[in-house]
Amino acid sequence: MKTPDFTRRDFVKGLSAATLGALAAGYPRQVLAETPAERIPATADTVIVLWMGGGMAATETFDPKRYTPFEKGMNPNTVLSTFPSIPTAVDGIRFSEGLEKVAKVMDRGTLIRSYTAGDLGFILHSRHQFHWHTGYAPPQSVACPHIGAMISRTLGPRDPAVPAFINIGQRFDGGEGEELKAFTSAGFLGSEFGPFNVAFPDAAKDVVTPPGGMSPGRFENRDAFYRKLAAASPVGQLGSGFQKESLVRSLDNAHRLLASPAARAFDLSLEKPETVAKYAPGGWDFSKRLGGDFSREGSYEKANIQRFGLGCLLARRLAEAGARYIEVTTEYIPFLNWDTHEHGHEKLVNMKQAINGAIAQLVLDLEERGMLERTLVVVASEFSRDMMQEGKPDRPITNQVPVPEKIESLTHYGMHRHFTDAGCVLLFGGGIRKGHLHGITADERPCKTLRDRVVIEDLHATLYRALGISPKLSYEIEKRPFYVTRDGSGKPVESLFAKPV
Amino acid sequence: MAGLAGLLGIVVGSAADPTEEAIRRLPPALTRPVDFHRDVQPILEASCVKCHGRGKANGEWKLDTRDTFLRSGDPGPAARVGDSARSHFIHLVAGTDPDSVMPKKGSKLTAEQVGILRAWVDQGMKWDSQISFAQPPPNNLVPRNPGLPPGKSAHPLDRLLEAYASNHAVRLGKPVDDRQFARRAHLDTVGLLPSPEELDAFLRDRSPDKRSRLVRSLLADKSRYAQHWLTFWNDLLRNDYKGTGYIDGGRKQISQWLYAALRDNLPYDRFVRELVNPTEASEGFTKGIVWRGTVNASMTPSMQAAQNIGQVLMGVNLKCASCHDSFIDDWQLSDAYGLAGIYADGPLEMVLCDKPTGKTAPLKFLFPELGAVDPKAPRSNRLEQLAGIITRRENGRLSRTVVNRLWARLLGRGLVEPLDVMQNPAWSPELLDWLAEDLVAHQWDLKHTLELILTSRAYQLPGVNLPEKPDPAFVFTGPAVRRLTAEQFRDALGSLTGVWQEKPEGGLDRLLLDRVGNRRAEAQAFWIWGDLHGASGVAPGTNVFRRSVVLEEVPTEATLFVHVDNSARVFVNGERARGTESSDWSQASLYDARPLFRAGTNVVTVEAVNGGDVSNPAGLLIYGRIRLAGSKGSRIRDFASDASWSVLTGSGPNWKTTDSTAGWTVAQVLGDPGLAPWNVAEAFTAAVSGQALYGNIRSSLTSADPLDLALGRPNREQVTTVRPSTATTIQALELTNGDTLAKLLKRGAERLVASQPEGRALANRVFRQALCRPPNRAELALALELVGRKPHAEGVEDLLWSVAMLPEFQLTF
Repeated sequence: MKTPDFTRRDFVKGLSAATLGALAAGYPRQVLAETPAERIPATADTVIVLWMGGGMAATETFDPKRYTPFEKGMNPNTVLSTFPSIPTAVDGIRFSEGLEKVAKVMDRGTLIRSYTAGDLGFILHSRHQFHWHTGYAPPQSVACPHIGAMISRTLGPRDPAVPAFINIGQRFDGGEGEELKAFTSAGFLGSEFGPFNVAFPDAAKDVVTPPGGMSPGRFENRDAFYRKLAAASPVGQLGSGFQKESLVRSLDNAHRLLASPAARAFDLSLEKPETVAKYAPGGWDFSKRLGGDFSREGSYEKANIQRFGLGCLLARRLAEAGARYIEVTTEYIPFLNWDTHEHGHEKLVNMKQAINGAIAQLVLDLEERGMLERTLVVVASEFSRDMMQEGKPDRPITNQVPVPEKIESLTHYGMHRHFTDAGCVLLFGGGIRKGHLHGITADERPCKTLRDRVVIEDLHATLYRALGISPKLSYEIEKRPFYVTRDGSGKPVESLFAKPV
Repeated sequence: MAGLAGLLGIVVGSAADPTEEAIRRLPPALTRPVDFHRDVQPILEASCVKCHGRGKANGEWKLDTRDTFLRSGDPGPAARVGDSARSHFIHLVAGTDPDSVMPKKGSKLTAEQVGILRAWVDQGMKWDSQISFAQPPPNNLVPRNPGLPPGKSAHPLDRLLEAYASNHAVRLGKPVDDRQFARRAHLDTVGLLPSPEELDAFLRDRSPDKRSRLVRSLLADKSRYAQHWLTFWNDLLRNDYKGTGYIDGGRKQISQWLYAALRDNLPYDRFVRELVNPTEASEGFTKGIVWRGTVNASMTPSMQAAQNIGQVLMGVNLKCASCHDSFIDDWQLSDAYGLAGIYADGPLEMVLCDKPTGKTAPLKFLFPELGAVDPKAPRSNRLEQLAGIITRRENGRLSRTVVNRLWARLLGRGLVEPLDVMQNPAWSPELLDWLAEDLVAHQWDLKHTLELILTSRAYQLPGVNLPEKPDPAFVFTGPAVRRLTAEQFRDALGSLTGVWQEKPEGGLDRLLLDRVGNRRAEAQAFWIWGDLHGASGVAPGTNVFRRSVVLEEVPTEATLFVHVDNSARVFVNGERARGTESSDWSQASLYDARPLFRAGTNVVTVEAVNGGDVSNPAGLLIYGRIRLAGSKGSRIRDFASDASWSVLTGSGPNWKTTDSTAGWTVAQVLGDPGLAPWNVAEAFTAAVSGQALYGNIRSSLTSADPLDLALGRPNREQVTTVRPSTATTIQALELTNGDTLAKLLKRGAERLVASQPEGRALANRVFRQALCRPPNRAELALALELVGRKPHAEGVEDLLWSVAMLPEFQLTF
């Protein structure tokens, strides 16, 4: 009897052959060798990174300081937070107003307030994002893989019908698009481990349904025709090589994904409208399409507060379906969204609406499904912001944003400069401690890290540790070891885990 | 990157004799006779020579030979032959002084190993004089002409290959047939599939030298050659039209320089000189990529220049040595800095794994034996000197590196592998050395080398499926089966469907024009209709538009671009114009109306239909590109849709049968090409300024789109010398489901159906163009079943997709 399970195993076999093929892909080229590293028991199987692209100000979100309400003519130096703080489910942890729903689930996770971004000099957002996502600062002499690619290369998809690394919400055709592309990539690991990009979560279904205008029946017929044609080709009898086999096999795999039940995971319209509304404020009408208006969307007067939530909902569905690493971004576009160079306060009202319900509901849904224990949710940003301080207090760099001597309007009320000494990272599930606070920051400007600094190598090592991957794991490129944390130097922050290993 | 801690332990030699106490603590010497090869050499290799051999002499200890060993140690001596107990190095490896124990890194020697070394010293320290731990001389550096072996073949490479084959007991197969050869040769020279007509002409040719003539004529096709090899060199020189760095001015293209160099077949030595000692147009290569902010010492622009020159031109990997002395070969930090310093504006402090050393490296090229750079000379002079050194006749590495790359491109595997490690031996040193010398002897003419390889027996052998992992025991039996590059694949689809890219990038448009052309539109086009409310929606029906065009003489070019909602038939002087018609208003239909225009007054008429059952938007947008090139020089007579057109609406008189002006009124101007709901300004401008001027825009001339990236086009943030060729699932998803390919095939199918209304002929055309052969009976039957006798666009689209997915299409066998 051919049970569905058997079919699935069969497919796993087929796919792992493809993956093995891809390991040595592209002969003659670098052979990737995995350095054996000590085995660590995993506490998580899946990672969801919620990316606050553009520099999320800690003092306006998860590390509020003294509230300084707007007054015409106020001295910018007095401004620390432009919102009052609110309590959370955990005594001793307060958030900034507007994050009430996330506050309620704080008892499910850990808050790091001492994330310290790299010292990369004069700020370029995309460069810090590159650093966050690969652990290395560009330029580099080899193409650095995104952490999602490293994880998907090391662990593969949880379900072979679903791409291992899925990247939701970022477009690459404006602003610093080229810089974003440079790290949203599997780099030297090869495209098999690269991201499956879904720019618009509401239309995610389109990326796994037959191309525009093609009925499912026609799609099946085309595939059947292709198979017959390939069989009739004289080259079919010419013996086989890995190139031909990999070509046929890859088309097979693609066809299977497109025809598989897992493809339904991409279709958000299958969710109940009430559920959609919990993620995307006001709900969403799936007969309409999110626009592509780069120019103003994300400005203070025009915000889309639903796209990120739809992305989180999609992430939950894909995690259920068996993806390994999912990233959802609020989308980085220079001067928009979290990149609050002007109108900081007003933009943050929108941004909080966009993330508040979405983050909380993702955590709650995962919990309800019994998945939170093995799914690590990470909320992070490339650095924080401050009204006055650019970079770090002890390492002066060029200021980019002029701050007037007196604040006369809301245009200048908010955190406008790039602050790299202390930022927030939220971690939920996946074996991470619950209701825990890590790191202390100064209450007065500069609100720098005072204790328990966490740098990117250690944050990565912590994520890898949760997945059972050593920070010293390396892949070989041009006969050199390339480590998953820079030079293998990352150390997991053990105190963040619920149970010591 | 792999920044491992430095190994620069300094050994301080001691003049004082070891104390009796220290001697007592030594492990005993072995009593049996020891053998240098069996017992001693392995210990030295495992524990000593990494720091004291292969060009290194840490702490002034140099273990290259017995002689240098004995002279080592400060103040020495390293050993007293016959007296191991009083030999300094024995105490170091035994660790009698805990403050100085050797080796500094890695595991210490065991008591037994020390015992072996003691016995060796006591027994006279015998050393096989054949064995040296000195740095081996560089491989593939000195030019060498191996001469041609005797043989009957006229082709020099065949003589070399036949000698190789007999040495390796290889039986060489028969050359591939004409079709396969033509397909390979076209793809490898100009990057395009031969058209059925080109292929037929070649097949009909009976002359014995037709393959050589084909290769020569293809290589002589300057612009198609340049547009194909642009891909190869863009990868190699890390050049692209978009990418990181440009937003901050931290990067510069060399596209225009490179295109011209390829078009003009710049001799390779000059090509290299202009890269190494650049002009403004070629400086992008050594300028590197600079991101905003502070840059790691190992990746400053001058270090990038050193790395890229090493890798691309010399097959030397300096990436390890940019941070520390390399662990995988003999290159040292001072080699990387020595080369980088030539490019630096001031003294370049060496930084060892992110730690400044306070030292600068003496300026030098990788192989100082090729010549010195004057460290006192200004930068521009240094670069000139460096360019001279690299292109010297004595530098056999430069020529070998490039012929090896060409060989690998054409035969799927290099003579030396990996291509960037030219220190490795070739599987046929004779072939490599001969080709390299032959290139130099022919004034560094790369096309000459290409022609030699393409006409060789080696190239014409049947394809071989090589294993996925490189086999160290490789024996050549034929060219590897290769995958089309992303660019070849896209261009093959262009040939197959007539759908090409829209606009060249990188400032290449100027170079593509073979005349001084006007890129601007010469006439201003507007959407027009009979009813002023066309854009917001009007009743279905036909509007006939016309205007006259007066020409002094017959035009040399007359192209009409038409966007219409919903369909149109175009007539010139009452004759229907032929072209590729799009039923999609967002795509321009293109008509070549040159045969229909005459000197004098011409009448252009367009029968435009607003389809549908209910009121809906209707509009017509036309641009006519008319060029005269008569005795009075080139003249422009462009026209476009505007208020100068007349329109006949509803049930007016039949325009074909009467010249009457009755019922004709002035066409209503709705708005410019960007008018909603059509918003075609960009596509329209691209069509007008693009295709008509430049011909078919090749994939290599444009930035990568998602399909290109999925097919393995690299992002060119780093030098790429080999592209992956295995198909991946992500790639297959893009091919199966991606928007780019789906749209392209849809347009292509519409064009094919318009030009070929008969199923059998269409299927034949598709197979002959795509696979260079007619379909077999089974294939034809399948294709006809799919597209029908009167082909419909959907069926043709699916046929095109299926053919494009065939291994026979995507691979070169």
